[in-house]
This record gives sequence, structure tokens and C-alpha cells, in this order.
Amino acid sequence: MERLRITEYLDLDLEEEQWYCHRCGRALISARENYKKGCLLYDRDPREIHRPLLEGTYTFSPDPSWIRIIEFYCPSCGTQIETEYLPPGHPITYDIELDLDSLKERLARGEYAIVDSRLVLAGNTGSSDGVHGKKEEKP
Amino acid sequence: MPIPTSEEKLRWIKVTPPTAEELEAVAQLSPGDYEIGFQRTNDILDEALEVFQRSCRSSMGIAGDVMVAIFTAQGDLVNGAAGTYLHAIIQPIIIKYILTYYRQNPGIHDGDIWIANDALYGGIHNPDYVALVPVFYKGQLIAWCGAANHTTETGAVEPGGMPITAPARFSEGMNLPPMKVGEHGQLREDLLELFYAYGIRAPQMVVTDLKARSTAADRARMRVLELAEKEGPAFVIGLLRKMLMVAEEGARRRIASWPDGKFRCVAFADTIGGMGSGLIRSASLTIHKQGDHLLLDFSGTSPENPSSYNAHVQAAVGHLANFLYSYIFHDLPISSATFAPIDFYFPPGCVLNPDPRAATSCSVMICTGIMSSAAVAFSKMIFGTQEWRQAVASSANGGNAMVLAGLSQWGLPFADMLAYSLNTEGQGGRATAPGMDASHFAWCPFGRSPDVELMENEFPMLVPISQHWQDSCGHGAHRGGCGTVQIWVAYQAPTVFFTTIADNSKVQTSQPLFGGYAPPTVPGISIRRADLLQRMRDGDRTLKLNFSALIDRQAIGGEWSNEPFLRSVRPYNEGDVITFGFATGGAGYGDPLEADPYQVVQDVEAEIISEWSARNIYKVAYDPETMRVNLAETEALRASERQARLARGRPWDEFHASWSRQKPPEEALTWFGSWPEGRPLAPVLRP
Repeated sequence: MERLRITEYLDLDLEEEQWYCHRCGRALISARENYKKGCLLYDRDPREIHRPLLEGTYTFSPDPSWIRIIEFYCPSCGTQIETEYLPPGHPITYDIELDLDSLKERLARGEYAIVDSRLVLAGNTGSSDGVHGKKEEKP
Repeated sequence: MPIPTSEEKLRWIKVTPPTAEELEAVAQLSPGDYEIGFQRTNDILDEALEVFQRSCRSSMGIAGDVMVAIFTAQGDLVNGAAGTYLHAIIQPIIIKYILTYYRQNPGIHDGDIWIANDALYGGIHNPDYVALVPVFYKGQLIAWCGAANHTTETGAVEPGGMPITAPARFSEGMNLPPMKVGEHGQLREDLLELFYAYGIRAPQMVVTDLKARSTAADRARMRVLELAEKEGPAFVIGLLRKMLMVAEEGARRRIASWPDGKFRCVAFADTIGGMGSGLIRSASLTIHKQGDHLLLDFSGTSPENPSSYNAHVQAAVGHLANFLYSYIFHDLPISSATFAPIDFYFPPGCVLNPDPRAATSCSVMICTGIMSSAAVAFSKMIFGTQEWRQAVASSANGGNAMVLAGLSQWGLPFADMLAYSLNTEGQGGRATAPGMDASHFAWCPFGRSPDVELMENEFPMLVPISQHWQDSCGHGAHRGGCGTVQIWVAYQAPTVFFTTIADNSKVQTSQPLFGGYAPPTVPGISIRRADLLQRMRDGDRTLKLNFSALIDRQAIGGEWSNEPFLRSVRPYNEGDVITFGFATGGAGYGDPLEADPYQVVQDVEAEIISEWSARNIYKVAYDPETMRVNLAETEALRASERQARLARGRPWDEFHASWSRQKPPEEALTWFGSWPEGRPLAPVLRP
């Protein structure tokens, strides 16, 4: 079965139930887990990205004691798969928790198909073709 | 009459089941009636919208922070023209309140004009006023028409309608539950006086906007009546109901095409209004998606607080509408029915479902968390589908609202919020391209920004610079759209009062997407006794009217002040630099190391991003003289950075061993709730 592209940098192999890096193809972790557990994590001082332009408390840079940038890297190719701005110590968000069983069942029933790595609802010409809109070209 | 509960208001957002008469009228529609009739409603609303904006006097109204809409007789919205999508959610609640409680006394009659602005009864916040008129055809109520806009002044404890120091609703000025202000097509003079009295800071604006709303709603009413006269009332009744049915079908089909599961995002704010700084989890969003149904669960959102940075539930839903109609439902009708497949849970006592006494005049600020988290969570839900092009990083969602008040250079009292710093925010980076620069206001995607000459003519101010704010975008493979910066100088009046409604001076609310970065934070900079005006008068050639140059403390003489961008009302004297006025940029999309190097250098040349960012964030090598990209060196720099990531990154367990021991400082967590759950720790006491 063709892999599904779930984010810019994440592929999902439904048969293996596995997350993969879209850039290098490295297997990250089980798709029943938070993919972030399969990444390398880095706690970034926000001033390194948002350069202070002024002296004092308010500098155009976030306060590093209030907020941090968590960077999630592919452990193989170093692609920055995701980032999250969180207060220090705040739980990391489990942002994508797919219902794999539902997805498999709907694919098996022919409710969905995978076309060009993306889900297409059977009988639906697809996106933005809703009620009054224009049909888009095939991705 | 009872104040509607949160549950009632959420129920009234839902479409009322069809009556037998409506279903019969739908069945009587001929082929083509629906399509032609739908377009007729578009035409009616476009005309009414034009009338509305040309009639408004408030800066926000002129700029397009408006909506006109048509509803069924039972109050469900079938189509709207905007402006802002916020009001798509609130107006049905207000109509249904009127239908539920006022049929007998004072009665609902042909020629009525109803108005409301109280968020407790279904509004967004009290500067957002709604006018509603019933459409009677030969004695039968067949529809409603409405017009809503942001009129800045409300007679609150501070000018500008969004008092940041209000501890409870009792300091917010005029809060009107649904009430009849006109009969037989005429506004009542005694009630107009009420608006004059509350609008004494800006009498020409508050009353004129009331008349503009009434006029726009009435224009739509007239055209709907013409349609009923031409095609018969059953045509109108059947058309409006069918519009709901088709819209719901479209929304359900769209939702069903996405994968089932849970999609989450959290967003943070850094302000408790005039009480000062504090960390708030302004949205803790979990989208439960199953089949053609969505449940948006906001459990974990921080508790309410004694400031005006709270929002009632329908205002929170209105902010979701801002995002959904801009992107995910961009091709579906603006309709109550597109929200039929969506349910909400807002825990009682959180900032998105506070006590009735809460001040909520800055609800639009706390709801930036909803717009930001929705962009991320919905994008992650749809990227694996054919909708992937609609994936987008969060818009700026800054809402840096700046208010001037006092006596103008024309001797007129005024209090107004100027739309420039709002309507020139940056768009979030997109799946296929960078976000648009100075593109829009996330609350009002079709809003216009006023030109500088108009601002200077209306208000006692000089605007020496008005340009892109360099590096205001969130960086990424597709960077966010760049925002703008102006400098406001008090001019042609001895004193002008100023206040700002904002946050994001210590923490950004916008979360990036797929490895991008958020925009920078926003300081509040002013310069008293500035020498800028005199140097301009003197023709000082050393003065560089450029943001990057002027942000240097040496560039303008005077007493510099650096505070949070949110500032309570204070006076400035002629010549003072009141503020640097920032419109925030959008969040970034994708790993910045994947940004097109040529685009990066082009952005440097256009002063959208700095040389520092090009070299340190994007790792692009180029010749600063010729601005030619060195591709080989760029690739080497980027490969080196990827290796550095692998060296500094830590596996999950190792990372958590140190991360889980960290915590923000206690003074930041006063109104966060319990850490990290966000549960209320104590009741909120309000005067």
C-alpha cells in the first residue's frame, strides 16, 4: 500500500503502522505513538532565533524564562520536522493521534483511496470542490 | 428575562429543524431556482455591504470590520457578506433570544429595528454592535436581515471600547442585551440619546454607526422583499432553507474526507490586561474527528481572570469561524449550517467560558489562541488529504489595536481605533508559498488599511514612516508574511490620549507549522519630548526615516520608554512619539533550511528580512555587494547545520530528564491555573 503523507515531513506506512521521515525515509517510531518520540529534541533559547534589537525587558525576543522553542529533528537527516513554542517544562503536545483502525477499515471498505500519497474520499472529486467552489487540479 | 446560559448559546448556534412549511417550499423549487436564488442573495448582500461601509463613521467600520447577513425566519444564517466572519456565529443567537422571549412584549413587528452588543447575550464584545430587522411579507415573518460592525467607543472606563483595566463587566460601558431601538422603520429618538450619552467621547461616530447598521440591514430587507414580491414568499422560504441543507451537506462531506483521530495544539498569552503580565494557556485544543463530525474540546485552557481578557463561548466559536471560513471552508457558504457538524466543549470557569460578571471587552485578544491553535490542528488534520493546499501556519493574530482619543485638530471630540496596525498583519506561511506580506487582519480578512493621509487628516497625528517591519515574519521554508511598522507622532493638538490593546510582548501566541518559527514579540516603544518633529521641520538630512535606523536609541533624541505593547490610557504632548505601531507578521511554515535561497536574498534586498536572518536562520551564502547567491556554499552551510542538529538533539527520554524539571517563574503563573494542568486554583473575585 502506498504511504500516506501526513505532514510536510512525515509519511505514514499503514501496513507497518510506522512513521517515516518524508525527506530521508528513516523509520521514526510506531504510528500508534507520538511521532515526536522518534525524533531528536532540542530546547532552544528563543533569543537565538528572535534576535534582541533593544536592551531591557522588551526586546522583540520572547522571554526565555517564559517560553522556549522545542525543535524536533529527524535522527537521520536532521530535517526540522516540527517546532513548538512551550513554557519551560510544559508537556510536549501529542499533536497527531490518528485512528489507524478507522483509517484501515475505511480504506478496506473502499470509502477512501490513496492517490498520490493522499486520501481521497470515494465519490468525492476532492478538495475545494465542495458546494459552490471551483475544482482544483490534481495534486 | 433570563440571561442565556453557555449551553443555550451553543445550542442556538445550531440550525433549527425545518418546519413543514419550509420543507414544502423546498420541494416546490424548480431546477435552477436554488442556484439563481443563491446568487441573488450574494448580490443583495454585496449591495448592502457597500452601503454599510460607505455609511459608517468609525475607522473600523470604514476599514471593513463589518458583516451583513440574511437569516431564516427562525434565525439561522443562510448567507453573509464580510468583512469579518465573527458575526456569522453571534447573530443567530440574538435573533433566537428575541424570538424566544419578546414575541409578546414588546412584540416583533414589521419595521422593527433591534440591536444588541452584550456578549453575555450572544455578542463578541461590546464594541461589536449588531442591528437586526425582521422581514415581513404581507404580515408573515419570512426572514431576518442583519448588519454588524465594530464601533470603537462604548463609554467604558477607558476610551476605545476595549478597556484593558476593566476588572468586571461593570466597567465596560454600554452593554445592551437585545432590545428594540426602532419601530415603523424609524430609530427612536429617546434611545438615540442613550447612544449619544454613552458615545460622548465620539458622538459623531457612535450614533452614525448605529444609523449605518440600521440602513444596511434595511437595504438587505428591501431587496429580500423585492425577491418575495417577484417570486412569491414560498420561493424565499424554500430558498433559504435549501441553502442551509446544501451548506450542511457540503460541510459534512468536507469533514468526512479527513482522517479520523485527535489533533491537538496549545497556544499561550502573556497578559492579564491592565493587571500586568502573566502566562495564560489561551487555548488547549483537541479536535476529536470522527466521520463527518468534529468535537472541539478546550479542556486544559487556563481559568478565567479578573481582567477583560476573557471570552464568552459564542465569541470563542466566532474566532474559529474566522479561521475556518478563511481557509478550510473557504468555498462553502457563510452559513449556520456549515457549523452544524461541529460541537464544542468549553470547561466552565475557563477564560473561554467565564462567569457572567466577567469583563470580556478584550475577548478578541484572548481568542487569538483559538485562531492560532486552529490553524495548526486543522492543518495537521487535512495535510494527508486533497485539501493539503489549505494547510497554513498561523496568521499573525497579533491584533495590536491602537486607540487615540481627545480633541482633534478640528476641535471635535474623538476616540477611535485605527485599522492600519490591524489590517496589515502578515499571513501565515502556506503549503505552496510564503505568507502574503501586510496582507490582512485575521479577524477581518477583507479589511482595508487606511492610507496615511486619511489618518493624518482625521486625527491629530503625524505618521513619518509606514513600511514593512523587517524580520517580523516567522521564518520557515515558506516564511510568514511580513507585518508593518508606523511611527505615530502627536501633532496639531496640544495633547492626545493613547491606549493599546494587545499582548505578545513576552510570548508569541502564534504557533508555527511543520518546523517553522513564530513571529517575534512586540515591545511598546514611545519617546517623550522627542526631537523628531523639529528635525523634520529643520530638514535635518542626518535623519533616516527607516525603521531599522530609527529603532536605534541614538537616532531620535528624547526620553525613550520600553514597555509591553499593551498600555493603559495616558496623554502625550505634541511632538512626542506616541508609539512605534507594529502589525505582527505571520508564523513560518517548514524547515527554514529548505527555503529557496534566491527568495531569501530577494527578501533581504526588499528589507523584508535582515542579513542577520539570512545568514543565521536560513544559512544562505551570498555576496553582499552583488547579492548573488553562492549555492555551493549555501548547501555546505545547511549540511553543516543539519549535522549540528544531530549533535545537539537528544532522544525523548534523555530530553525529558532535564525538561520535566523546568518550570516558568512563579510570578508568571499567577493566573495560569495549576501547573501544568491549568485547573482553577481559587475563585475569581470581581468588584
